[in-house]
Amino acid sequence: MGYVAVKAGEELIDRAEQLFEKQRLDGDAETVSVEQIAGQLERLTAQAMSEGGLYAPRLAALAVKQSQGDTVEAAFLLRAYRSTLERWDETSPVDPAEMFATRRVSPAYKDVPGGQILGPTKDYTQRLLDFDLEAEDERDAETADPTDDWNLDEESPESLTNVMEVLREEGLVHEPEVTPGGEPADTTREPVTHPAGRDEVLQELARGDTGAVTALGYSALRGYGQVHPTLAEVRVGKLPVQIDHPYTGESVTVTDVEVTESEAVVPVYAKRDDPQFAFGYGLTFGRNERKAIAMTILDASIQLDSEDEPAENAEFVLDVVDGMDSFGFIEHLKLPHYVTFQSILDRIRGIRERKGAGGAGAEEPESDAGASGDESDEPTERDETEPAAMEAGDDD
Amino acid sequence: MTETDTDIDPTTTTETASTDALDAALESFEDDGLDGYNYAYLDEHTKREVRRAVLKAIALPGHQVPYASRPMPLARGWGTGGIQASLSILGPEDTFKVIDQGSDESVNAANIRRLATDTAGVATTTDTTEADVVQTRHRIPEEVMTDDQILVLQVPVTDALRKVDSSDAANRRRHAHRNYGKMWVHLYENVVEWGEINIASRYPTMVAGRYLMDPSPIPRWDVPKLDHADNLFVFAAGREARIYAVPPHTEVEPLAFEDRDFQVERFPDQSCHACGSTDTYLTEVETDDGRRLYTCNDTSFCLKRRDDPELPKDHHLDRDGVDWGPGTPDIEEEAGAVAGDDGGPDADSEAGDDPDAPVAEQGGDRA
Repeated sequence: MGYVAVKAGEELIDRAEQLFEKQRLDGDAETVSVEQIAGQLERLTAQAMSEGGLYAPRLAALAVKQSQGDTVEAAFLLRAYRSTLERWDETSPVDPAEMFATRRVSPAYKDVPGGQILGPTKDYTQRLLDFDLEAEDERDAETADPTDDWNLDEESPESLTNVMEVLREEGLVHEPEVTPGGEPADTTREPVTHPAGRDEVLQELARGDTGAVTALGYSALRGYGQVHPTLAEVRVGKLPVQIDHPYTGESVTVTDVEVTESEAVVPVYAKRDDPQFAFGYGLTFGRNERKAIAMTILDASIQLDSEDEPAENAEFVLDVVDGMDSFGFIEHLKLPHYVTFQSILDRIRGIRERKGAGGAGAEEPESDAGASGDESDEPTERDETEPAAMEAGDDD
Repeated sequence: MTETDTDIDPTTTTETASTDALDAALESFEDDGLDGYNYAYLDEHTKREVRRAVLKAIALPGHQVPYASRPMPLARGWGTGGIQASLSILGPEDTFKVIDQGSDESVNAANIRRLATDTAGVATTTDTTEADVVQTRHRIPEEVMTDDQILVLQVPVTDALRKVDSSDAANRRRHAHRNYGKMWVHLYENVVEWGEINIASRYPTMVAGRYLMDPSPIPRWDVPKLDHADNLFVFAAGREARIYAVPPHTEVEPLAFEDRDFQVERFPDQSCHACGSTDTYLTEVETDDGRRLYTCNDTSFCLKRRDDPELPKDHHLDRDGVDWGPGTPDIEEEAGAVAGDDGGPDADSEAGDDPDAPVAEQGGDRA
């Protein structure tokens, strides 16, 4: 009787945990260090931090290691840990123009103030398996760095004028509606109710599951929506984290966070006398360009405030985009369901009996429905063959 | 917030500039157990918030109260709402029972029980009559619960109206207006199509004549136990971040029509193969040799019945004949035909929903 009718459920849990841990340690290979994960599998830790809503690269690397590379599970570990931490302070808002960008592309213009910075990317690399990596054993620092023989003049990088500023100066950008006054909402402390404010939407999208955000953003492009944005900027870089010093009251930079930021414009012609661009925004922790861009599309789509398309319906998007929620509920189907299943069996057998369906359970005495007094008074019982939606589900 | 990096050069990578505080945070993972966590895992502010939500829910029976459901060390959908409610109301003197689909020994029940004992130091029991708080997934125990007990039900889907409209925003408006026409139409179409109301569990239930409530996926068998009970029922959803309640001695009425009664699950001619009970909720077990057995779903009560097959469900009370759902005396037997009166006339006068609209066409009255 499997996973319920056995005594000592707690011992079973311990055993299952030990088997899972054994999987990680099976084989002769060296164990992976947290440093190696943080340094060489940065995309994994970035995804865990972004979806976990906690910027902590080493903790993220630990979570990735513990979850054996499952980013949603790693994000889950970070969120559960984060929820037990005290909130000491809130950081000051930071201007994205202060970003120290390692990468910046602006598809809207051929050239932009500050220039295009391709930076580290595989975008234009041919996707061929690099079998040399297979043979890479020990780090050979002398020869390994392919940028060693670059000749760089050590100029300090210029700050990059935001492309959106150019458009804003011309009055071409319709600014999103902002709920006036008050602190930004924090959906980890206040549950989302609909209609949700844009601050809540952006926070939920920023913590959304990368795959879900990408899929929903893609749906708008694919034809289930009207938003086909032009990207003003996609940037990857570091932003300073600033707080007001508790004694001096001055703003001090305490650390920095790596983020991916994306901004887009979408033409709207609603105001015929004054057509403008609508604005979409995306920001994620770490390097995750596809999530940031997809978030931008969803932000712009949701501002259309329509229920015509999935991506334009804030309630739909926010309901399905969170990885912790979807992962938990999808996987809960593994839990025992025999109580509810018995209830469904009762309904389906009852209906089959009354409809005289063939072979309605040999073990079911034909006359038993009489006990409930509703079997025989159905002279107009329809005998359609078309299967109407048989809905005895329980959705638990 | 764990990054307490003191380096003020924004170009320095965080990985190389980690500080003692971060190392200490990492070291704390090496401890066994839950040292360093607050009593009952949740911080005091969170517990207070949950208790406030529970109080508000008690004041508005059946109404869904939003609360800031915290990430728990269990996956969402696995009882995180229930455990937040339980941990918020448990104290060190309390005795805690956890059941999952009727069983104390389910691994998920064991896991939840383990979290409560590790963090809140509560005693645990499998005996319903000994527990102060019982957390349950989808069952109400067969033994009558008393006025000094609380039943915490885990809730996957918070709104009964979700069956007829996926939008919570639209459904909140319906609750505000006590507009349950769309659900009545759905039930009516069930009867037309199938001859009976075709809802298995999660049966839509009217609380105190005001709010339509999703009683969580308890079988219909358990729904009558909610009516005029002595104990408090707390329904807690973690993923959907809502808490609602049925206070003691509250009228709870499953929706039905005058000529189509509410029906519990039927077990014709079946009894528990272990204890012989015919007045308990049974589930089928398919055996290796192809036979089908029926067995009591409430394993704790089944064990007692094996010792004493005649043990009544109110054996632990100083009165008998207590009304506790199927197989117990129905105190309101003569009033049994009023099912449906609660919202029926209301539904007829409903302007918001077109009774002719097919149910499949959802969201017709979304603004």
